[in-house]
Amino acid sequence: MSSIAVPKRSPLSEALKGARHAAADYGSIWSWIATVDHKRIGILYGISAFVFFVVGGVEALLLRVQLAQPDSSFLDPDAYNRLFTMHGTTMVFLVVMPMSSAFFNLLVPLMIGARDVAFPRLNAFSFWTFLAGAIFLNASFFTGDILSGDLGAPDGGWFGYAPLNLREFTPGHGMDFWMLGLQMFGIASLAGGFNFIVTILNMRAPGMTLFRMPVFVWMTLVTSFLIIFAMPVIAVALVELTFDRLFDANFFNAAAGGNPLLWQHMFWLFGHPEVYILILPAFGIISAILPTFSRKPLFGYAFVVFSGIAIGFMSWGVWVHHMFTTGLGTVANSAFGITTILIAVPTGVKVFNWMATLWGGSIRFRTPLMFAVGTVAMFTIGGLSGVTHSMVPSDYQQQDSYYVVAHFHYVLFGGAIMALFGGVYYWFPKFTGRLMNEGLGHLHFWLMLIGFNLTFFPMHISGLLGMPRRIYTYNSDMGWDLWNLMSTVGAFLIAVSVLVFLFNFFRSLRRGEESGPDPWDARTLEWSIPSPPPEYNFKEIPTVTSRDDFWHQKYREDETGRIVPVLAGGAVDDEAPEHETEGEHGHGIHMPSPSYMPLIASAGFPVVATGLIYDYALVPVGFALILIGLFGWVLEPATEEE
Amino acid sequence: MAHAAATDHLETSTGIDNRKLLMWLFLASDCLLFGSLIAAYLLYRGRSVVGPYPEDLFDIPFTSVSAFILLMSSVTMVLALAAIQRGNVRNMRIWIFTTAVLGTLFIAGQVFEFTEFNHEGLSLSTNLFGTTFFVLTGFHGAHVTVGVLILMSLFVVSMRGGIQQKDSLAVELAGLYWHFVDIVWIVIFTLVYLIQP
Amino acid sequence: MLRVGAVKRPFTGFQLRRLGRFIPLLALLALFALFLSGCDTDTPQNTFDPKGEVADKQADVFYWAMWPAIAIMILVLGGLLIIMLRFRERDPKHIPPQLHGNTRLELAWTIAPVILLLAIGIPMVATVFELGREPSEDAFRVNVIAQRFTWEFQYPEYTDEDGTPLSVFDQSGFHIPAGREVAFYLESVDVIHSFWLPKLGGKLDVIPGQVNVLWLRADEPGSFSGQCAEFCGLNHANMTMTVIAQPQAELDAWAAEMLE
Repeated sequence: MSSIAVPKRSPLSEALKGARHAAADYGSIWSWIATVDHKRIGILYGISAFVFFVVGGVEALLLRVQLAQPDSSFLDPDAYNRLFTMHGTTMVFLVVMPMSSAFFNLLVPLMIGARDVAFPRLNAFSFWTFLAGAIFLNASFFTGDILSGDLGAPDGGWFGYAPLNLREFTPGHGMDFWMLGLQMFGIASLAGGFNFIVTILNMRAPGMTLFRMPVFVWMTLVTSFLIIFAMPVIAVALVELTFDRLFDANFFNAAAGGNPLLWQHMFWLFGHPEVYILILPAFGIISAILPTFSRKPLFGYAFVVFSGIAIGFMSWGVWVHHMFTTGLGTVANSAFGITTILIAVPTGVKVFNWMATLWGGSIRFRTPLMFAVGTVAMFTIGGLSGVTHSMVPSDYQQQDSYYVVAHFHYVLFGGAIMALFGGVYYWFPKFTGRLMNEGLGHLHFWLMLIGFNLTFFPMHISGLLGMPRRIYTYNSDMGWDLWNLMSTVGAFLIAVSVLVFLFNFFRSLRRGEESGPDPWDARTLEWSIPSPPPEYNFKEIPTVTSRDDFWHQKYREDETGRIVPVLAGGAVDDEAPEHETEGEHGHGIHMPSPSYMPLIASAGFPVVATGLIYDYALVPVGFALILIGLFGWVLEPATEEE
Repeated sequence: MAHAAATDHLETSTGIDNRKLLMWLFLASDCLLFGSLIAAYLLYRGRSVVGPYPEDLFDIPFTSVSAFILLMSSVTMVLALAAIQRGNVRNMRIWIFTTAVLGTLFIAGQVFEFTEFNHEGLSLSTNLFGTTFFVLTGFHGAHVTVGVLILMSLFVVSMRGGIQQKDSLAVELAGLYWHFVDIVWIVIFTLVYLIQP
Repeated sequence: MLRVGAVKRPFTGFQLRRLGRFIPLLALLALFALFLSGCDTDTPQNTFDPKGEVADKQADVFYWAMWPAIAIMILVLGGLLIIMLRFRERDPKHIPPQLHGNTRLELAWTIAPVILLLAIGIPMVATVFELGREPSEDAFRVNVIAQRFTWEFQYPEYTDEDGTPLSVFDQSGFHIPAGREVAFYLESVDVIHSFWLPKLGGKLDVIPGQVNVLWLRADEPGSFSGQCAEFCGLNHANMTMTVIAQPQAELDAWAAEMLE
């Protein structure tokens, strides 16, 4: 469909042209607001996710201060309930998912030899919608009387079970912010999921067959499929909750015959694939780091890829393991117990592949490797406690106790978060041209590893000693005091380690040693271009002839079978050319033009949501914004007019 | 679409146009949306504590007519695509307009039906039937409405000469969406109206 | 200028000495050892101190998974440590043989876990059925009513002259017979709660609109601590209970006294 240009030289067209000129000035803030460049969007996601990591971390510290001692009154139960709800919701939806998106954005086009994703403006739309949702959700804190300690944040838990989530039992607007904010995250994730599937399937460089793609790209692909099928289910659950809370519907109303368990089934049908959405990108990162720092390829590429795909399918068949204690009966519990046991296999097999990758290698103890190995170790512990959960009768004791809290923090923090940090240290040089400091990196790693284990290992014990979840206090004769105190100390140690990371990050941005294009002697395509990459990524789209193509450009086998460098192989070490200024398209490569339309469309969502909660008059205003943004998006010209 | 990305001119690795692949993925995802809503309806069928109940309210002949209208709109949609693929812009316009009109008629039928049921005492809050029925069919109706908006947008663009034979993909994508919405209605009509336990 | 990707030497400001690298590891191991000491505490809700048949069997099931899990943990963590030490870089120019995989090995380490898991899975399923059976005919029946934020026990076996069952709240003490199967019929009047007496057995959720049935047995007389295990709102943390198991005769006497 060709563009419908706004009539030339009208005031509107002049204003639009001015806005576009501002966006094209590469250093300006407008260029960030209107960016459709996957690398910039990746950075925006990364910064946002990290900010919310700190927010969620502070929420956790407050919880831990309250629990450090029995019968503490540091937080009243109302504040406690809101903080743990926000901590969980934040960490899942505002930290791990967007941080994974940051990596998808930064890396996937580079790893497959593309110039950008398939739909750059849809990509920007994903980010702005996510950010709108994140700000909207956190705004709820301020809807109470925050100065007197009355937080307006949601208080139904991150899982929001029915019927507690209904207005009758959780009045106030907190849950409304929660259910509508989550919808925005859903939309953002869905858009991202579609975008990355099309990008990966359709935009690979010539010669890059699916089985020559880096494992990180495979994990992105599987994760994206999980997203596009799982998010609609929770969207519907949230819609049903919205209708119950705002319009007196009966989806979860037991008195009208509704079944509260319907919520749980839908939530976990989404929720279980969701946890694989959270961990598979981390697996992809590990699968990139370990080979580089062992100087050998990933052991068993096909097995690792197939096990990722297997997890994708099997993750749909285990959701009831979150509901073993709801009384569904022996047959259901047994069946899902078996499927849960079996899903440990494709997950666990990867650990052996990773160990075998290190085996026989020439291992360099750089910070990314430390985090990668730490991830494998911690994830193994978390996975094993997961296997104990799959033993249904013993899960009847473990469910809803701190043992579960230990399990999922081992896999989500020890697994996902540590891998994400490893990824930051690994790819920081690629996107900034500088290395992060190794000494500080090691310090961060050890403080975090020790702090993490000190925080979460005792929870296995307090859980098995009968401490339930989500309690704001406990009394002293339960025998939980020491374990809780240890957890609190560990939590503050984690916080210190994060400060070390922050110091390292900012210092390295300004004064880090220059890295060049390939500081790690790595294997995949992103290392073959300058650091930071030019706007267009590749001067020429490469033709790929093997897996780990870049490595094979650098090294070959000689007659005796030894690996030797190829002369003149390796990265192009040009200085990144000047950013394209208005009117110039260096190298004759046309990159997608920046656009404000995704942001405008995204801005409509919080307006609609606010309207639904406070004043219906805002709802059409919000929809109008969305429509304006969408129509503008579809109708705007492909290239700047001069 | 208006925006030509840097990559538009390249061959895609699968040979399928990016936008077509996107539409298929979107429709696959939308299957789970409707699947969840239909599942809620079916799980709660027969469990309403108070009436009115489906058998009190359903007017199968009426709903059959509106289902037929929607089905016919898929036929006209196919004709619209066939026209533009042959380069016949005028006919494409006619058939797209007709499709939009038929879709609007369907919506009008839904509105009428909802109003009737409401007068008989059925609302979102009355019982499980009201809750699940209105949310499910309401979401479907919203999808149809969006479809009509898309079709009318294409019509307007076409009136300004913006759709030529080479732009047939836009019509094809609208058609995919429209057929999907129609198929969902066939499923809903069968499970909700026709098959009574 | 083209050059082969080179590894820069790291900045060594804070770098630990070779051996010093192991201090944090030792700290971790010390911590693990400390943690293991938690297993023997005699605390009110310790699931490792089963006082009833159900809790006992559930603890057994846990051990079936726990020991292999610990073994695997030692294997993997120990293995990683050994690998890191043995294959650390000695010559920066050395590129090791580029092994891509070994299908037989990978099949083996895929199939072996399946076998191990099924080996513990099948008896696990048997236990699910064993513990999930209907309560026996002569079980002592208690109706448990959960509400925010208190428990109520109703005893259909102890009724007053009008036929109203005895109803008690926690302050009066929840009494059950010792040495006899007790069937708890769980109902909620508001939100989902969860009934948990850890030393007698695992929990069962209490869901409005349905009745869930849990049977437990206290082997000996004693006092058992429990609490709600499903987040139910503001005072969830305080929705506790103490259940006292006593010989049948004493129980009957208590009930008669309560009914006056």
